[in-house]
Amino acid sequence: MATLNIMVGEAQGNVPVTILRLEGDIDAATQKILQDKATEVVGGGATHILLDMSGVNYMGSAGFRAIHALTNMLSSEESSTLSKSPHLKLLNPADSVARVIKTLGFDVYLDIYQDRDEAVNSF
Amino acid sequence: MIYIENKIETLRGCKFLGGLKESVLSDLAASAETLRIGSNENIITQGETGSIMYFVISGKVRVHDGEVIWAYIEEGGVFGEMAVLDSEIRSASVTTESDSLLLSISRDVFYDALSADPEAFKAVLQAVLQREREIVEQIKVRTAKLMSYQKEMEIGRRIQADFLPGSIPEVDNWEIAAWFEAAREVAGDFYDVFRLKNSSHMAIVIGDVCDKGVGAALFMTLFRSLIRASSLYGCLGSSLIDTGPEKPTNSVSEVLLNSILTTNRYIATTHAGSSMFASVFFGFLNIETGKLTYVNAGHEAPMVFRKNGDIELLDITGGVLGLFPAASYATKTVTLNEGDLIFTYTDGVNEAKNLDGEQFTEQRILEIAAPEGNDTESFLGIILNAVRQFRGEAEQSDDITMLALRFLPQVAAD
Repeated sequence: MATLNIMVGEAQGNVPVTILRLEGDIDAATQKILQDKATEVVGGGATHILLDMSGVNYMGSAGFRAIHALTNMLSSEESSTLSKSPHLKLLNPADSVARVIKTLGFDVYLDIYQDRDEAVNSF
Repeated sequence: MIYIENKIETLRGCKFLGGLKESVLSDLAASAETLRIGSNENIITQGETGSIMYFVISGKVRVHDGEVIWAYIEEGGVFGEMAVLDSEIRSASVTTESDSLLLSISRDVFYDALSADPEAFKAVLQAVLQREREIVEQIKVRTAKLMSYQKEMEIGRRIQADFLPGSIPEVDNWEIAAWFEAAREVAGDFYDVFRLKNSSHMAIVIGDVCDKGVGAALFMTLFRSLIRASSLYGCLGSSLIDTGPEKPTNSVSEVLLNSILTTNRYIATTHAGSSMFASVFFGFLNIETGKLTYVNAGHEAPMVFRKNGDIELLDITGGVLGLFPAASYATKTVTLNEGDLIFTYTDGVNEAKNLDGEQFTEQRILEIAAPEGNDTESFLGIILNAVRQFRGEAEQSDDITMLALRFLPQVAAD
């Protein structure tokens, strides 16, 4: 049975950044955990989120759908005209996940960083 | 305080024991224990052995299998009797829904009481049979409902099949073959091959909508129809009209791009809340020159097998369709020469899994592909057989769609 744990952290870039550190698999069974946590932090005022993907072993299409739903939650009138989300970025996905991101072209829609500080300061 | 009379009353009120003589009921009531249980307490666990049956004096319990609730039992009802009668494991779990007052009777007490009176056995047997008849009736009703759902599903499947090309167009100098195999009765994969009006171009499309089942199938019809309509009938006033040998090459890519952008924007805007997306390879092939203008929106890279043995992969030119309204796409071109073959497929091929969970992979496709000496149908057949052999006993977990086109070598005129 797939599991997903999420730890919430804060960092200061040009704006306050909420970091969600994901550990486990993001699939049909666990995507709701991400969705619920995202709803909670966005409800709590988060406007810029960095998803730390380094602990994710597997991400299926349900995971990509959950990430899209999260970008929608964070989207503003201004950002919806941009081809890349200024509100949501990814940090350090493992090779297997990075490969799927690249195949589906999600790197066209979301910035991906290898370095945490660089990612935080990009917001 | 529960008096013996209340206990007898409860047992008598239960259909299961209703036929028992008063003396037997009194014996049972005397040995029955009273239990007060708060709400949400588990009383019976599925799969365990059990020797106690329960009667509900007041309150309510739910009979369930994990999250799935089969029934609620209230005042006057009985549960746990099946495992007591046949000594098998518990067939479902039972948990209190509210504060409940129950009577419990063990198997030994039950059989002791019954053995004193042969008529009592008969009465219980009749009650059990009566219940069995009720269950058979319920099964009949549920089966009829299920069959009507299955019929609806079959209708859906047939309608969806109409969204795939009924036949591949016959095109001079081109050999085209397609294979489509749904993992479930309705699928999220699609492909399309159609001629563009007043043009020497033919559209080829292969796509894979995320997820599976009815939701994916609904979106498949939407993606496929938007792509076909926007390229066949143009949109925002643009349509593809060849103007002769000096036709502007950008008109092809413009219509292609327009079609992709329209499809993406429509779904990403109108159905934003669904977060449904599709990977799509979409190209316009000039059937006279072999020039293919294409967009690869997050789809597995099609393979071009050159006659000389070279292989080229047509990597993505943009992300998946349907999520981000402002997404942009690039068009690219590749020219197929006589004898060259292009192969497109969905991830049901490269991600087919065997029982060990290993994937077939793009690498294996490249290793077993045999464009030389095979027509396009045999070419697909070889890949399909290899995937099936690799999968072995493992279930087909995703739709398999493949499309292959070859520019046939021209036969010199006499």
